[in-house]
Amino acid sequence: MDIGTLQAYAYFGFTAFLVVVLYSYIYHLYSAQKKGTRDYEKYGNIALNDEITDQPIEAISKNDEIK
Amino acid sequence: MENRPLEYDYTVAKWFMLVTVVLGIVGMLVGVILAWQMAFPGVNLMLGEGLAEYTNFSRLRPLHTDSVIFGFTLSGIWATWYYVGQRVLKVSMAESKFLMFLAKLHFFVYLLVVVAVVGTLLLGISTGKEYADFEWPIDIAVVVVWVLWGMGLFGLIGIRREKSLYISIWYYIATFLGIAMLYLFNNMEIPTYFASGGIGNWYHSVSMYSGTNDALVQWWYGHNAVAFGFTVPIVAMIYYFLPKESGQAVYSYKLSLLAFWGLMFVYLWAGGHHLIYSTVPDWMQTMGSVFSVVLILPSWGSAINMLLTMKGEWQQVAASPLIKFMILASTFYMFSTLEGPIQAIKSVNALAHFTDWIVGHVHDGVLGWVAFMIMAALFHMAPRVYKREIYSKSLMNTQFWVQTLGVVLYFTSMWIAGITQGMMWRAHDEFGNLAYSFIDTVAVLHPYFTIRAVGGTLYLVGMFLFAYNMYKTMTSARRVEESELQNASPMGA
Amino acid sequence: MFHWLEKHPFFFAVAVFVTIAFAGLIEILPNFAQASQPVVGTKPYSTLELAGRHIYISNNCMGCHSQLVRPFKSETDRYGHYSLSGEYAYDRPFLWGSKRTGPDLMRVGNYRTTDWHENHMKDPAAVVPGSIMPAYRWMFKKSADIDTAYAEQVTVNKVFKTPYNTEIPMADGTKATVKLGATLDEAKADALEEAKAIAADMKDQDVKDAVAAGNIPEIVAIIAYLNSLK
Repeated sequence: MDIGTLQAYAYFGFTAFLVVVLYSYIYHLYSAQKKGTRDYEKYGNIALNDEITDQPIEAISKNDEIK
Repeated sequence: MENRPLEYDYTVAKWFMLVTVVLGIVGMLVGVILAWQMAFPGVNLMLGEGLAEYTNFSRLRPLHTDSVIFGFTLSGIWATWYYVGQRVLKVSMAESKFLMFLAKLHFFVYLLVVVAVVGTLLLGISTGKEYADFEWPIDIAVVVVWVLWGMGLFGLIGIRREKSLYISIWYYIATFLGIAMLYLFNNMEIPTYFASGGIGNWYHSVSMYSGTNDALVQWWYGHNAVAFGFTVPIVAMIYYFLPKESGQAVYSYKLSLLAFWGLMFVYLWAGGHHLIYSTVPDWMQTMGSVFSVVLILPSWGSAINMLLTMKGEWQQVAASPLIKFMILASTFYMFSTLEGPIQAIKSVNALAHFTDWIVGHVHDGVLGWVAFMIMAALFHMAPRVYKREIYSKSLMNTQFWVQTLGVVLYFTSMWIAGITQGMMWRAHDEFGNLAYSFIDTVAVLHPYFTIRAVGGTLYLVGMFLFAYNMYKTMTSARRVEESELQNASPMGA
Repeated sequence: MFHWLEKHPFFFAVAVFVTIAFAGLIEILPNFAQASQPVVGTKPYSTLELAGRHIYISNNCMGCHSQLVRPFKSETDRYGHYSLSGEYAYDRPFLWGSKRTGPDLMRVGNYRTTDWHENHMKDPAAVVPGSIMPAYRWMFKKSADIDTAYAEQVTVNKVFKTPYNTEIPMADGTKATVKLGATLDEAKADALEEAKAIAADMKDQDVKDAVAAGNIPEIVAIIAYLNSLK
């Protein structure tokens, strides 16, 4: 096998790997949301509640929260 | 001092807003001059024979592209960064003297670079690479500007209160990293003055790469300068401004995650589509072509996410010209991210490459998507940074329709011009001879060049309306209270 | 990703960088290993030609003229043989352009003459009725910058081993040598010799006088460059 063939196999394998990664990531995102392990959608509110006096959606640390 | 409540500090955002408007007008004015020169070559001598060197098409063209890309768009990106960045990280620039100093320095060094660029391009000092025309001393200054921004960007992130980075921040980070990488690699050059021991112009340099390699690096850069200048940061804007203005949280945060990582992975591959049928290796051309088509997915992911954010709230589009600007922008985004991949298909590219269709594609993207989104962002920011309502809603509506008409005239005429020219170049008669001489294919474009110039002029008129509206907003519109600034921006009649 | 990266900006930035750098790693680097070799007959530019090339760049001629003949019958009929990678081996930067408002110039030296260029640059529409190209009359007055061209030659010769003063195989089996002057004065004298040959084919009296007096107007240099494109 020459280097070109090897590259071609590697390329195919890599593409297949990426497809699996992509779909499992999508699966992870939606199942985590459904099971309630993580609510991704709440982070969308960062843009809406963005006054400096608003409570952060997730503060950087508990002691550091603004009064 | 101690007792005053903490507020966001928009000083630098305001400065950049001003520069955005000014450079937008400059860049588009030069563009309109170019358009009329192509329709009526006499315009090349508009300031007389003595100044012909500085007013002819060939000298002005890089000034147009660079002032729109690195002037208008870049300052628009920074105006929004110094606004959005504070808000979604929930930290004020006023909290750090150092970051404030960096931001101001960033602004002034940037202004210096703008002046240097305009001067050198008019004098014909150029490295010869599109959108990377600047000679090495300016390149170094550009790197300084970029590093200053980067320090400010990561500095502000470092002192944030909101733990999670909002979608827009991802895109700003990507803009910073992407352009940094591309710009450095593409501008590798050797100053000849120093290498030759002090001969010739001190600012002249020669590219580290030659021929086909140079082309490959240049279009890897050229294509992705578009990606990280015209797509990524503008997406950053729409992910913040559309939800904020409409009061609707983004339709799907999960989709935005997928679209982001998809875009990051796919975009860089597509550069090869500028080199189809050239002398770069075939597999790279094919790669460029295939990945360009794949690119539709992450692009549409973001665009559809934006349209769905308006779900159930479509009455806002009719009611608010600001929302109109953003919805039209995201529609044009979908449109040009579909058109681009079509042009990247090899057989289409064989026809379209080197023609005005490509010019049309660039402009429906930039006029329809980039400029509309930047103007919408500035309209949204103005009441909040100047504490006055937008001066005139009806003027905004007028501007919207004048500019939309301008864009439509622009891209339709360029479609026809490009395809006509492409077909005429390849036409053979019954004996297998070329059917048209080159000049035939130029003469036939005159009506389309004229329509394009009219379209461009309309858009420029819209820019003046925009500038006037912004000026009045800054200086004499009704003052507003904090409570009026929740979501929909306050507008005067 | 998994909402960990979004909370850790440093790692987030690293992840973004790796993702975007990946394509360049695969696409750009391998091609550099096999940097294009010059084809037989490809010579580096002489001092005067290079000065002309700088004028071509500073007036952004590549904004309207490509230098890339694609492998289609309609293009080879119009412009000549399609482009080969090695033909660009000494082009720094490459000047393929991205738009053909005017015709391709890759091989313009094969079918246009000094005389044609002289008339055309003065008044394009007089030579090609309907042309929308602007005139470049100031090039008949301004002097070309030979010093910088020489500095660039010295640089590429030193850094990239561009073969000056070396025998180069030509397509017809002969050898050719492109001279690089040992000193700036020698290079200037050589450039002036080349300029004289071109000025002899021109009609403009001011240009002839200038060259006779030892000055090289831009127009002479750019014609030298255009004639070298074959």
